[in-house]
Amino acid sequence: MIFNWVTKILGTSRDHPEFWRQYLASFDGTLGKRTPIEEIGFVVFDTETTGLDSRKDRILSIGAVKVQNWQIDLRQSLDCYVQQSYQPVGETIEVHGILPGTHNEYNIDEIEAVKQFVGYCHNSILVGHHVAFDISMVNQVLKGMIGQRLVNKRLDTAALAVRVSEKKDYEQPGTYGLDTLCKKYKIPMSDRHTAAGDAFITAVLLMKLLARLKSRGVKTMGDLLRGPGF
Amino acid sequence: MENTIPRRVYDFLKEFPPFNLLGRDLLMRISERVLVQYRQPGDIIFRQGDPPNTHIYIVREGAVHLLWEKDGEPALVEQCDEGDVFGIRPLLAEENYALTAKVVEESLIYAINVEGFREVLENNPKVAFYLASTFASGVGENYRRQGKPMLFLDQEKMADVNYPLVEVQSLEKSKDPVTCLPDTFIREAAVIMSRREVGSVIVVDEASRPLGIVTDKDLRSKVATGQVGLEKPVAEIMSSPVITVGPDITVADVQIEMVKNRINHLCITEDGTSASPVIGVLSEHDLMVVQGNNPALLIREIRRCRTGKELRHIRERAEDLMKKYIYQEVAIAFISTVMSEVNDELITQSIKLSQAEMDEEGYERPSAGFCWLALGSEGRQEQLLRTDQDNALIFENVPEADLEPTKKYYLKLAEKATHLLNEVGYDFCPGDMMASNPSWCLSLEQWKAQFSTWIFEPSPKAVMYCTIFFDYRPIYGMKELATALTEHIFENIGGQAIFLGFLAKDALQNPPPLTFFRNFVVENGGEHKDEFDIKARAMMPLADAARVLILDAKVGKINNTFRRFEKLAELEPINKELYEQAADAYEILMRYRALQGLKNKNSGRYFNPSELSKMERVNLRNCFQPIKELQTLLTLRYQLAYLG
Repeated sequence: MIFNWVTKILGTSRDHPEFWRQYLASFDGTLGKRTPIEEIGFVVFDTETTGLDSRKDRILSIGAVKVQNWQIDLRQSLDCYVQQSYQPVGETIEVHGILPGTHNEYNIDEIEAVKQFVGYCHNSILVGHHVAFDISMVNQVLKGMIGQRLVNKRLDTAALAVRVSEKKDYEQPGTYGLDTLCKKYKIPMSDRHTAAGDAFITAVLLMKLLARLKSRGVKTMGDLLRGPGF
Repeated sequence: MENTIPRRVYDFLKEFPPFNLLGRDLLMRISERVLVQYRQPGDIIFRQGDPPNTHIYIVREGAVHLLWEKDGEPALVEQCDEGDVFGIRPLLAEENYALTAKVVEESLIYAINVEGFREVLENNPKVAFYLASTFASGVGENYRRQGKPMLFLDQEKMADVNYPLVEVQSLEKSKDPVTCLPDTFIREAAVIMSRREVGSVIVVDEASRPLGIVTDKDLRSKVATGQVGLEKPVAEIMSSPVITVGPDITVADVQIEMVKNRINHLCITEDGTSASPVIGVLSEHDLMVVQGNNPALLIREIRRCRTGKELRHIRERAEDLMKKYIYQEVAIAFISTVMSEVNDELITQSIKLSQAEMDEEGYERPSAGFCWLALGSEGRQEQLLRTDQDNALIFENVPEADLEPTKKYYLKLAEKATHLLNEVGYDFCPGDMMASNPSWCLSLEQWKAQFSTWIFEPSPKAVMYCTIFFDYRPIYGMKELATALTEHIFENIGGQAIFLGFLAKDALQNPPPLTFFRNFVVENGGEHKDEFDIKARAMMPLADAARVLILDAKVGKINNTFRRFEKLAELEPINKELYEQAADAYEILMRYRALQGLKNKNSGRYFNPSELSKMERVNLRNCFQPIKELQTLLTLRYQLAYLG
């Protein structure tokens, strides 16, 4: 059971802050190998950061949506902008257009943003395009806060797209980039490069990819876990 | 805080009715509560007879079919595409679904919870009205009932064009109905009618609801003949039930109702049914009064014209008349018949005037008679707006020695007539497909030889000529010459299957007008870059397909594309539905082209798809479906895959 495995590694949770205890408690074993895809809760998310180095760079915003049973409920979407004192030098500002300190009215600090995010995710499967990077960004904050890291199962839509692709060659660089995949799967690309916008696009992509896998017999979490992408 | 994702939902919804009627804040709140659902082909969103869901739906991308299942047979009522709202029943009535919603393409659906949306209806009567009317009619239902495709469903759109829609005001004056009760004696009724100087009296019950009508004709045929006595109640001679219409009827509607029901009087009631009180009567005479430009009148006037300028003036009045018909959504079959009559008469008069002029100038008419042919769209009776002239001339076979002088005379006549037509407003054909061109002014024998060459030695150029010349229609002169030519063509084609193959292949030259993104295929470059070419992309493929199939079926004398499809539907029951759809599609396209032409004061051929309303786009896109299917049919039937 996942829960046992979690407690084994992390020890008892008494020392942890409340949000983290609740987070760990959510891994109650309800998600198992036989859970049908329809019942799996996915959190599809994206972060915008000051750069691409998770040790140095900081989170500027987190956007996330929940996908379950082929549906995204917009009432449950997360879109938070983070107040950063850190001044960026990176070129990513040009990509996403968020300057630290803009969106002042809504800004929350990094710790609060990650707390919200953890509370939002609970035991869902975390999904993103090249999700490892975004998870490492969150983990970086968690490590500084409480010395912990996320324990969720994760699913990378880029890897999933490779798995879905009929041709197993890796034709050209960028074939499995989000832009190219959006074109391939006819997903309209407005709001690219805002965290929430990308999260939403990725969520639609996830559903389209899962549908294709399902038609090939991938029907449960176990089936999903067996292939690459996890 | 303003969330990015609801914002994109908002940006989408605000483009489509009824959401475009909502204020920004309200729509934003609705957007925040949307469920984005992914659906695959075959998924059922709700089933006919199911209790209502908690949501209403909007197609974000993809397509959903609304099906009506009867005896296990699902019939397509409506296709919902991007921006279409469906499943609104839960919002309006506590009833089970009347239709099944089935996903036919990979789709994203926005689902909006009914809770909270009801309050929107209460506070926004316009939205409630929109939904209620969509719900009540059901677009598909409308389509079937009217029999004729409609381009505009909303009145506002028509108001936009700022055109005096109907002479409803002038119809007002007949709104003082003369009525009597059913037990009134015929004698009394006749007295009332003559005193009030009317040709009819409506028989009503105590609540003024119409029961029947007694007209002059009834008095003549039933009373004056002694069949029924004067002391009998009117109920014995009245025609019943009476045809009723609502007070907002247009002139065109009145005309259609009268023609359809073969009656001369219509009864106007409060709600348009016989269950509400009578508020007026309309007679054919009222109609004549309000119709200044009646086609029969125009045609009579054409015959009195002596100059190109006069003819041009009449053609302009005919165009005004057509404009009214188009905006009143009169059936295209009717409009094109009227306009063809007018065009034919203009051409005839131009030829007559030219010939008279030649008489005066001392030219001697040759002994061989002739026939003037209209080609292309006028040949197909599809010319609504003035376009280029396409015509040809056949003269009777003559002895070799007479050939040159005869041809010379007819070339001169054609030159005069085409110039006159140019003055009337029909531009010269840039490709010189005119009777004044020596190649297209030939004896019957020469024409037969020409068609044989095209049929037996098919080349791309020959096929191009065929698409123009095969739609010929005799306008003036010896029509038997045209009949003889048609017979010759059918004899030739009989032994030459490969020719039809070439024609069929030509009909496939234009790819379907949509990309796989469901966007219109627009022109890549040139003067009309990014515009949609409705003629080449949508109308010609249909006209071309109809021509091949009708030639193959050896049916002459039907030139009109939608009538050809109607005929084909009759001849090939197995493809009836497709042909009927094609006929409908062609009518919509003709109407659309005329509308664009009137709006932009040109031939209507090119327009920018982004200027279309949602409704227009959907309507046009639906027209493209049969094109694809017809092209597949041609490919299979003529085995075009092997033709290379």
